[in-house]
Formats: sequence, C-alpha cells, structure tokens
Amino acid sequence: MTGTADIGPLDVLVCLKFVPDPAQLRADASGQPDLIQAPLRISNFDENAIETALQLTAQHGGRAFGLSVIRGRKPPPDVLLRALAMGLNALYLVVDETDMASDPFRLAVAIAAAAKVMREAEAVPLWHLLICGEASADEYNAQIGPRLAVALDLPAITHAIRIELERNLLIARRSVDGRCETVETELPALATVGTEINHARIPTVLQIMGAGRKPVREMTLHKLLEPDLDAMKRYPTLKTMAVFALPSTRKRILIDGGNPKESVNQLLTRLGADGEIRF
Amino acid sequence: MAGMRILLFSESDDMLPELLFVIRNLGGPPDKHISSIAISPHAIETATDCLALGVDEAFVVITEGTVSLDASALGAGLSTVTRIIAPDLILVGATQTGSEVMAHLAQHLEVPCLSDCLALCLDAHGGLLAERRVYGGRFIAQQRLEGRPLIASVPPRRFPRATRTHEPRGVITRLTEVSLKSRIRTRSVSGVSRSAVDITKADVIVAAGRGVKTIDDLSLIEALAHALGGVLAGSRPLTGDVDWLPADRRVGLSGQTVKPNLYIACGISGQIEHIVGMRGARTVVAINTDPEAPIHVDADYSIIGDLYEIVPAILEILEEASLDGTLH
Repeated sequence: MTGTADIGPLDVLVCLKFVPDPAQLRADASGQPDLIQAPLRISNFDENAIETALQLTAQHGGRAFGLSVIRGRKPPPDVLLRALAMGLNALYLVVDETDMASDPFRLAVAIAAAAKVMREAEAVPLWHLLICGEASADEYNAQIGPRLAVALDLPAITHAIRIELERNLLIARRSVDGRCETVETELPALATVGTEINHARIPTVLQIMGAGRKPVREMTLHKLLEPDLDAMKRYPTLKTMAVFALPSTRKRILIDGGNPKESVNQLLTRLGADGEIRF
Repeated sequence: MAGMRILLFSESDDMLPELLFVIRNLGGPPDKHISSIAISPHAIETATDCLALGVDEAFVVITEGTVSLDASALGAGLSTVTRIIAPDLILVGATQTGSEVMAHLAQHLEVPCLSDCLALCLDAHGGLLAERRVYGGRFIAQQRLEGRPLIASVPPRRFPRATRTHEPRGVITRLTEVSLKSRIRTRSVSGVSRSAVDITKADVIVAAGRGVKTIDDLSLIEALAHALGGVLAGSRPLTGDVDWLPADRRVGLSGQTVKPNLYIACGISGQIEHIVGMRGARTVVAINTDPEAPIHVDADYSIIGDLYEIVPAILEILEEASLDGTLH
C-alpha cells in the first residue's frame, strides 16, 4: 500500500434508529407517552447519516447499507422503505424480541455483532466507514457512535459538519463545544453527524414504492448474541422505572388574521395584553 | 457501604464546581472520598482549583499538544485511571466533549451510564437514581443504574456551583503511568468566537432558524430584536457554522438554556435540540410556514406564515404605533 491511490469502491454502514416521531408523541390520560399512537420515523440525524453515506458512495463508488436494531413496535413498510428509497443498497433489521439491548452499552455490543454478520452476508471485506447520527431523537444520549467505535476498535470523529475522503484518509471538519476543528484519521473509521452536514434527500412516493424491490433482511438479536448471552445478562443494568409527561403550560393559540398585517396586529395586541410588550 | 469513592471529571474547568455541588447533594453514605481527575497540559492548575473546592485528592495526567481535545483518547485514558483508583461512582460534565468521553469510558469498562441527568441521588441499595429527558424533551424518565462503577453526567449550568473551602486539605497526585494515545490528528482548531451580549440574561429573544435563507437576512431578525429591546439568537443550523452566528448565541441542548420573558422563534422547526433550551421562556411566539412544525406545540402564539412577510409587518406596525404615540 503506497497510500497514493484512491480508496476505491467504499463499503459504508449507516446505523439508524426508528423512533416515535417526537413532534407527534402525546401523553395519554395517565401522563405516559402514547407510543402506539405516534408514527415511527427515521431519527432525524440518522437521515443526515444516510445522506452522508450516499454522497460519499456517489463520489467514490461503492455501496451503503443500513442497520437498525428494532425494539418494540416494528416500523410499517413505508417507513422501512423510506431508508431504501433514499438510496441505501439494503437494510438489515436486528429484532430485539427479549429486550436485551435495553441500554446504550448493550445496544453498541449488538450493533457491533450485527456489523460483523452483515459483512459476511454481503461479502464486504471491510467497512471503510460507519456513520451514525450524533444522537437519537427519542433518547438523545449521544452514546452509540462513540460506544460502537470502542466496540469495533475504530477511530471516531464525532459532530462532523463536513467529511471528505482522500486516499485512505477521512478528513472532517467538526463543530464541538463552540470550537471548530479540522481533523483526520485513517480508514476504517466511524463518524457521527448532525443536521449541519447536509440536507437529507426526501424520496418521492414512486421511489418509496420502487424500493420494495430492495432487500430488507431480518435477524433476531437473541440468535446474533447467542455465544455471549450469559455475559449480556451479567453486566450491570440500567432500568427505566417510570416515564411521565412534563406539564406544558403553553397556550397554543393559532393566530390567523387572513393576511400578514392583520395577523401581526392580533399577535401584538395579545402580547400587549399579556404585558410582554407595550402595545 | 462505607467509604464511597467518587471521581469527578470535566475537561471544562467551568463545570467542576457544579459537579461538586451535585456530589454534595447526592445522599447515600455520609463518608465520601471525593477525587478529581484532570487530563490536559494545564492539569496542575485544574487540580489546584479542585483542592480549593474541597476535593480530597486531585489526580493529574499532564498531556502535550491537542491530544486532550480527543474524547476517545480521554475516554481510554480515563478507563485506565478508573482501573487504578477504583471509584464507585464517576460523575462527568456533559459538555459535548464530556458526553463523548463518558461514552468511550463506559464502553471500555463494559457498563451502561446515565447521560444528561436533571436530578441524581443514591438509593439505599447503592444504586443511582436519575431523572432524564426523553422523547423530544417532553417527557421525563426515572431510571436506576446499578453495578460498579456507576457513571453519570449532568448538563452544564443545570446545577449551582459549590463554594470554595477556606482550608483545602486534599493532595495532588500525578499519574505517570497513564498516557494518552490519539488516532485522530488535528489539522487546525479555531477558537470560540464570543458575542458582546449574554443571551441567557436577555428579557426578549428573537431567534432565527433555518427558515432564514441567507446570512444577510439575519439583519431583519436582528431589527425585530432591537425594536423589542431584545437580542438575536439562533437555532442549531445557524450557529453550527461559525460564519452565521457565534456559538454562544445558540439556544438548545448543545448551546444555551434561556429564560426570557418573550421568545420569538422565526423559521425554527422546533427539534428537541432547540426546545430544551427555550422551554423556560414565559411567552413563546412561533412564526413558521409549516403548520405541522413541532415548534407550535411549544408556543403560546403561532402565526403560520413566511417570516419574510411577517417580520417586516411587525416592524412596520411597531413603527406606526410608535409614530402615532400610542405605544405609551
């Protein structure tokens, strides 16, 4: 390896999570989140992760695969197909029927195991790059990217706002804690991305229907982790005991005066009456 | 469970007094041995500050260059430190870097952890109880972590700062056997650009989001802020790129938490990232073309419309009102 040639066709793995749409999640009468009513969607930063993978494979050649651990309700076909319709080559689902991957540590172990199985199944010699959203829209732990890098012994570049590949180097600009850095590392590597890096493409209905021909493969987490099941049970645990809604005191008043000026008049009058402005 | 050993870490010196406050109000066994770990070129100064705050032992690992900016190197280094000093509980400051350090650390140690805790306490059985935001920040989860070490983080500026002690009694211990190895090379770092105003102290905030199309259009939003005696802030897309707005004007999980009397969100969709930062506002106005945007759920008043029409209309009406002398 002289390191002068381009890395060639890439194999990129995108980790994605299907989450109850936070914008549509309501509390039920007891204050619990009504997880059945809220539609599932791809977690927003994960859409940016998919887009990043697609742009890199378009530029350098290669394939991009999706991997998701499904806990609880399985997303409906149109939601699954959306990821494929964006352009992923195939989607792998790891179904966690027995709620084993119930914390970020176990989830990272599960994804690492699945990434290896996928390599064999797709005849991928090496994942050049793994891309994760920097945090999920439901838990917002920002844990899985770095944890997965440890589990797979990869260098991690988080909060990337621009990614370029040059020969076998990943060069990224990242924005973190108010500073901007340009950093580089050798492939294979893992990167996490947020909304800054791109605008994720929105597939058309036709593309979503057409994506039905692409493979969605399922495996169970139990089978995947069979050799390590005892270890998984032995590790310390994180348990969720209760989830309740934060009381919202917002008025949620829609102001529609028929035209901008009248709407603004009504708004300012209300803000004046509330004592927030002098009007 | 006598003699609980606690280790504090934050790469941001600012957060250390907050971490100490949390530990002092954690409950559990009264005899806690509190230590801190600083891993940086200026670790000795940080350690001296920690002693002034009353920690029993301040560990230091002195590094060179930019390796201490690499969260993966810090996390791996911290896992070595943990194996040496065997703490029962590690508390981390949840800056973006700190959160990442904790993830690396916990995975190296093969344990789960609790991130961004809004409340923390020890229970009678040695477990750690926490309240955390989940599902877009609109719900709170009560969670319990058990095992050793317990690892948790708390967000910046969530808790008060511990006061300094008059008689530091701790010692500084240098850990020479820990060295940091980075697989990331830093080509350049540009520092934090700071604003002249502190948005956390503003009574009125007008915030711009992705609906603002060009950097020049920010002057329109700023004009509204000035007309209302307030300041301009931004959501994540506008502050992630330093050219648009300085990072200290970002409202949200990775930025500032603000509590103005009036918050006007212009062209902001209302992702959790943002909502968490402005939830404390007394009155929230949302101006957005998308009737389905989540911001409306967290607003008192919503106008479904184009900020390029609505904001000029507000400015015009405010100006007319002022000219008519009806404002007062």
